[in-house]
Amino acid sequence: MDSIMLWKDQYELGVPLIDAQHKELFRRVGSFLQVLRSEDAWEEKIPKLDDTLEFMKRYVVEHFRAEEDYQQKIDYPGYEFHKQIHDGMVQYVQEVSQQYEQSDHNEDLMQQFGGRLLAWLINHVAAEDQRIAEYAKRKGLSGNEG
Amino acid sequence: MKDKLYNAFVEATRNVFNLMLNITDISHRQAEDFQCDDEVDIAIGIVGDLDGEVVFRFPVSTSLNMVRIMSGMEFEEVDLFVTSAISEIANIISGNVLTALSDSEMQCNLLPPVQCEIENHKKYDLETSSCLGTAIGEICLEIRLNRP
Repeated sequence: MDSIMLWKDQYELGVPLIDAQHKELFRRVGSFLQVLRSEDAWEEKIPKLDDTLEFMKRYVVEHFRAEEDYQQKIDYPGYEFHKQIHDGMVQYVQEVSQQYEQSDHNEDLMQQFGGRLLAWLINHVAAEDQRIAEYAKRKGLSGNEG
Repeated sequence: MKDKLYNAFVEATRNVFNLMLNITDISHRQAEDFQCDDEVDIAIGIVGDLDGEVVFRFPVSTSLNMVRIMSGMEFEEVDLFVTSAISEIANIISGNVLTALSDSEMQCNLLPPVQCEIENHKKYDLETSSCLGTAIGEICLEIRLNRP
């Protein structure tokens, strides 16, 4: 199966650090979805899905922190609201991950997680994060503050 | 208020489809003649100054197209992954409507999306529906709210 490309250039914010992290996030979520939706037996998919889930738990927190630092640096007025969205997603990833472990790798749980993650990530980067870039542009800040 | 809600949902759907799916051309009309035998109905509960729900009625073909555009993968049936992805889109649209309306006097919260079956026997203070036509198929919105 060809690898899927979730990333679109229109998602770029013009902040090099954040854009690089977004691309990595999209790449990993793309690989995750590809394994999740493949024709392979569920048991064969579990190790790869576990790896990605572990990566996501670490990387999502790291990326959100970097994005929040950038927002504070440029005095982004939507910082508190944006942080609430991030905190909600971190909590969701942790809860699903815990339920998944407790259920001994329940497939239904992971399929539901995958669908929600896909839509959430695209909306978050294509809509919510773009507001940060628009603010920075309006204030005449260059993308290098990230 | 009815028109305000109707317009807010149409506008939010238009924006979300544009940003998430690159679909810009969306028409809308009253939904009395919306006919679909194989739809996925997603209800988002609303509590607060208004109380009730908004039901997003996604025909199967529309649902599959939405997920195909987002993921770049082909889907042949509506399964848990597809239902979850379109539920999140319904949630995003509804969240954007509440954010837009919170600038006015209204304060409400959303309940998590659930797959449902449309019930038509209840009466609501505010009831309106809209059918949105897009390049990837139609969507129907049923808005049913009471003032507590």
